[in-house]
Amino acid sequence: MSDRLDELERRIDELRAGVRRAMRARDGGAARGLRAELRAAERAWDALVGGEQPEEPPARTAPLVTVREQVHQGLRLLGATAQPRLVVAVSEAFLGGTIRSAQLTSLRRDEERSFRSAPYGRPYYLCAALTDRLSPARGLLTLSAWPLERRVVGPLSPRVDFLTCAIAVAGREQGDPRAARLLLRMARNIPGATDGSLGPPDPDRVIAAARAELAVHAPRDTRDRAELARRAARQLDDVARLFGAATLSTIKKEYAT
Amino acid sequence: MSGLKREGDPAHRLDALRGTTPPRPHDARAIAALAANPGCARRALMDGAGLDKDAAARHLGFPAPFGQSPFAITRGNAFEALVKADGCAELLRMLRELLRLPVAEVAYHDVENVGENADARSGAHLRHAHTRSLIDRAARGEDDAGTLYDHPLLALTIAGHTAFLEPDVVAFQLGGRFHIVEIKSFAVIDGQAEPSAAAAAARQAAVYVLALRTLLEELGHDPLRVSHDVVLVCPENFANRPVATLVDVRRQLAVLRRQLARMTTLDRLMAGLPEDLTFDLRPGEDGRPTRPVAELADAVRRTTARYAPDCLSTCDLCFFCRDEARQEGASDLLGRQVRDELGGVASVAEALGLADGSRDPAEGQEEIARLLRNAERLRRECLGSV
Amino acid sequence: MSLLTSLARLRALDEGIAQPVATVRHCHLSARPMVFVPLRLSGEAAAPLAAMLGDDRDRPRLLVVPQPRNRDLRFAWAAELAGVLLPYVESFTADTETVERRGGDPYERALDAPQLVVPNTGGVAFTRLLGRSTRFRRADGPYPVPESVPLLGRWLTYFAERAAYPGSSLTLAATEELGRHWASGQSGLEDGNLASLVAWITEGPREEAEDPLVWPPAGPATDPGFDAEVLAPAIDSGSAERVTEALRTQLAPTWRLMWQALDLLAGLEPGASVAQRWEQDRASFSAMAESVAEGGPPQPRRDGAVAAAARLARMERAQAAYEVQRAYDDPLVMAEYRLTGEAFAGEVVETVPDNAEGEGRSRKLRPLVVIKTDDPVLLPPGTALGTPERRAQGGELVEAHEGLVTVKITKGMGRGKTAAPGTVPDVGERVCYTSLTGDFQGSPGLPDAEATPWTHGGPPQQYVPDDEDAQEEWS
Repeated sequence: MSDRLDELERRIDELRAGVRRAMRARDGGAARGLRAELRAAERAWDALVGGEQPEEPPARTAPLVTVREQVHQGLRLLGATAQPRLVVAVSEAFLGGTIRSAQLTSLRRDEERSFRSAPYGRPYYLCAALTDRLSPARGLLTLSAWPLERRVVGPLSPRVDFLTCAIAVAGREQGDPRAARLLLRMARNIPGATDGSLGPPDPDRVIAAARAELAVHAPRDTRDRAELARRAARQLDDVARLFGAATLSTIKKEYAT
Repeated sequence: MSGLKREGDPAHRLDALRGTTPPRPHDARAIAALAANPGCARRALMDGAGLDKDAAARHLGFPAPFGQSPFAITRGNAFEALVKADGCAELLRMLRELLRLPVAEVAYHDVENVGENADARSGAHLRHAHTRSLIDRAARGEDDAGTLYDHPLLALTIAGHTAFLEPDVVAFQLGGRFHIVEIKSFAVIDGQAEPSAAAAAARQAAVYVLALRTLLEELGHDPLRVSHDVVLVCPENFANRPVATLVDVRRQLAVLRRQLARMTTLDRLMAGLPEDLTFDLRPGEDGRPTRPVAELADAVRRTTARYAPDCLSTCDLCFFCRDEARQEGASDLLGRQVRDELGGVASVAEALGLADGSRDPAEGQEEIARLLRNAERLRRECLGSV
Repeated sequence: MSLLTSLARLRALDEGIAQPVATVRHCHLSARPMVFVPLRLSGEAAAPLAAMLGDDRDRPRLLVVPQPRNRDLRFAWAAELAGVLLPYVESFTADTETVERRGGDPYERALDAPQLVVPNTGGVAFTRLLGRSTRFRRADGPYPVPESVPLLGRWLTYFAERAAYPGSSLTLAATEELGRHWASGQSGLEDGNLASLVAWITEGPREEAEDPLVWPPAGPATDPGFDAEVLAPAIDSGSAERVTEALRTQLAPTWRLMWQALDLLAGLEPGASVAQRWEQDRASFSAMAESVAEGGPPQPRRDGAVAAAARLARMERAQAAYEVQRAYDDPLVMAEYRLTGEAFAGEVVETVPDNAEGEGRSRKLRPLVVIKTDDPVLLPPGTALGTPERRAQGGELVEAHEGLVTVKITKGMGRGKTAAPGTVPDVGERVCYTSLTGDFQGSPGLPDAEATPWTHGGPPQQYVPDDEDAQEEWS
C-alpha cells in the first residue's frame, strides 16, 4: 500500500506544480484540467491512507425548518430591513438557527422566480429592499408582508433600521452567549448604550440610547420613506414592487452625458 | 477628454505604443506605484500607454513575482464588510469619536447600487456620473446632501487617458469638508502598523484625495475642501475590531502630483524613440499574445529602464529589467547603497578594473579609484590571497 | 554598508560566488540550537499556520493549525509550541555558576543558555507578534487558555527583544548572520531570501532559488500560489492530514537550509570576544528566568518614556561595544577602519622599549614604537590608540609622516623599570593600532544592564495586565 501511496504523492506533487505553472502562465483551461486530476489523486490518497472516503465536515443537526423560514423568522424578530449577516447572527443567537451565509446567495433570485411563476402563491416572500431609485438594494433583505414604507430605504434608513434592530435584540432574553455578544457589538456602536466597561450591556440602557438617537433621525426618514413608497406604488408593477426595478433606463435618462 | 486625436499628438503616440493590446485600467495601487521609481522612462512610457505590463512580462518569459493569497483577499473583504455593516455602524462610531461627527449625520449612499447590472464600462460611467451628482450636491451644501458615500467612482486622467478608480472606500463630508476613508486589513498593534503597509495605504489614499479634488475642481468648487487628512481604518491588535487613525498624506500628494505632471510630458520621452516603436502584444482571438517574444523584447529594450532592487516589489517588469541589468553588468543590481558607494561607476567590470588597477580612472574618478584600490589591497591582505 | 563590502559584492557578482566579509565568526553557536521556522496565515497579523522546530536536525517537530480560522485551534497550537519550547528553555536553568560582583550580591548565572534560530527578520517579527498575542492571556477567567500559553508568550517576547540587542546570540536570524559573514552578488533585499543566499555562498546563484515551487519561501509568509492551489483546498477538505502534509512540503526545504546555514557558520572559528558576549547573554537569560520564576509580570505592551530612553541608551552602548569588539576580533572588519583612516596596520621598524617619562618615583615607562604602514593615517597627534594584539595596552599617536607612524605606549606597561618581555612589539612584528577604543572587555563582574529585570527597577510603573488584555480576541 505504501508504494501506491508514494506513487500517489509523487503524482500529487507533479500535478500541483503543473497547476501552479499553468496558473502562472494564466492558462486557465490547462489549470482546470490538471486541477481535476489533482483532486482525483488527492481523493485516492485520502481513501488509501484513511481506508475510507474522506470525512465530510461534521454534519450539523438537520434543520427542522427551511433556510427560507429561518430567514423569515429572523427578519420578523428584527422587525426591519437588515443585512444577511445580521439575520444569520440573530437566527443563531435566538432561534437556534443553522443558516450558512452561502445558502443565502441564491435566495432572492429563487424567491423572485417563484413569485413570477405563481404570483402570491406563498404567504410571504423574502425580497430585496428598494433604493431611492427603486432598484434592488445591495445586500438588504426584507419581507413582502411588510408595508412598502418599511421595504424602501432612504439615506437615513440604514441607520434607522440598525437602531430598530438593536432595540429588538435588546428586548430579547440574553440567555445564549452569542446573544450577549451580538448585543454588545451593536451597543458599542450606539452612543451612550454602554457604560464603557467590557461587561454585558444593560438591555434597558441600550434600548433607551437607541431610541434617543432614533428620535433624531425618525422624522426625516419617515418622510423620505413615505415619498419613496408613494413613488414605488405609482411606478412599479407587482414584481418590481417586491424585487426592485431594473433601473438602467431610468438612470440613463437622469444622467445621460 | 476633448477633441479628436491627431497624428503625432502624444495621446496618439501612446496609443500606438500600446497597439492592439487592450488598455489596462489604472487602479489606485498602480497609480500610487508610478511614484515608486520616477526616474524610469520605460515604466513611465508603458504606464502612460496603459499597457498591461503584467501580460507583457509573462509573454517575455519573466512573469512578475507577485500574487495575492486567497486568504488575504478573503480577510480583506470580510474586514471591509464588517466596517460597513449595518449602515456603516462601526464607521460612524469611529468618525463620531475621531472627528466629532454629529449624531444627526448618518445619511448613507451606496453608490455601488447604481450601474450594478450594466456592463463594466457603461456601469463605470453611470456610477461616476452618480458620484459627481452626489458630491456636487454635498459641495453645494444642499439639505439632503448626505454624509457617507460608499464606493464612489472617481476618475483621474493619466497621460490623456481617463482612469476610473474604484476605491473600497468611503468618502465622507462634514460641514462641506470631505475626507477619504480607506479601509485596510493589516493590523495596528499597540499603535504600530507595519511601516511598508502603512506607507502603501497612504500612497493609495493620496490618489483618491487627488481624484476627489479634481472632481470638485471640475464642478467649480474649491478642491482644498478635500482634506489631506485621510481616515485609515484597520483592525486593532489581534481582534477584528476596527480602529481609525488620521493620516496626513500631503507628502504623498506632492510626489504623486509631480509624477503625474511628468506623465503629461511623455512627449519628451517619446521624442527620441523610433517612429514605429510599439509594445503591442498582438493578442489573437483568444486574447493570447502572438507577437514574437524576441521582437517584443527588442522593442522594450529600446526604452531606458532604471532598474533598482526596489522594483522587485513594485513593478511587473522587474525580472526582465533585472535580467537586462545582469547582462549589462550594471552595479545597479546590488542596490542603491552600493551604487552610491561607487559614486557614479556604473558597471561592475569598470569598478573591479579600477580596484585591481587594470583600468585607469577617467576624469573625475580619481578619488573613487583610489578608494577602490585601497579597499582591494586591504581585502587581499586580510584574506591572504595573491 | 561600506566600500569594502560593496567591493566584495562586486567581486561576488563577477566570480559568481559569495565572498567573505569576515575571517572569524561573530556570533555564538549553541551546541543545541532550537531551530524555529514559523508560518503565518496570509492576510493576518499573527495567526499561526504551522511551525517546524526542534534541536535535532534529524527529528524536526511539525506543529500545524489544521483550521487556521479557529481560535481554539490556534491556542491549542500555541500550547503545543509551549510543550516543545518551554522544556527546552527550562533545561538550561538548572546548571549555574555563582558570579561575584563588586558592590553587589553575588548572583547565579546559567552555564549555558538557549538559542533560537529563525530564518529571517520576518521570523523575528513574527516571534514578537506571537509573544505579544499570547503573553497577556490567562489560564482562568472568561477566555481561558492552557497555563503554558502566557508563559510561552513571555519567552517569545524575550527572544524577539534579544534579537534586536546588538551582539546578542540568544536569537539568530539565519539570513542576517550569513549576511554578516558573506557578501553575495545580489542586493541586500534579495539576500532576505534564505535559499538564494545559501546558494550564493555554497555554489553560486541559482535561478530556482527564487522559484517557490522548488524553494518555498522561508516564511513567515507563504507562497500565494501554494495558498490558492494547495492549502485552501486542503483546509476546505477538513482533513487535518492533508493540511499537515501540504505544510510539510513548504517547511521541510527551509528546515534543511537552516541547518546548512548553521553548518556554514560553524565552519568559521569564533572571534575572541564571542564567548564574552555569550556570557552576557547567559546572565540576561538567568535574570529573565528568575523573573519568571518569581512570578513577575509579563513585559509591558509599550515601554514608558523613561524605560524607552534607558533601553535606547543600553542598545547604543551595546552597539558601540559590539562594533569595537568585531573590529578587534577580525582583521577584515578592522580593514573598514583602516580604509577610512581610523586605523592603520604595518610592520614595526624601530622600538625604544625603555623610553620613560618623569623622574624618580614618578618615572613611568613609555616605550616608543615606529610602524611602517601603507594605510592612509588621518589621525592627529595625541589620539588615544588601542591595539588588537595587546588589548590591555593603550597608546598615543606621536606623529605620522610619510608612511611612518610613531606610537607611544601609555597604558598597561606595569610598574617595572624595564618592559617585560613581549609587552613591546619586536621589530619585524605586524601590528595594528586604531582610534577605535572602548569597553571591549565589558565589565565581567556585572550582569549586563539589559538583564536587569523590570521587577528590579526597570520601567518605573509596573505593567499590570487587565481583563481587557486577557479577553482580547485572537481572531
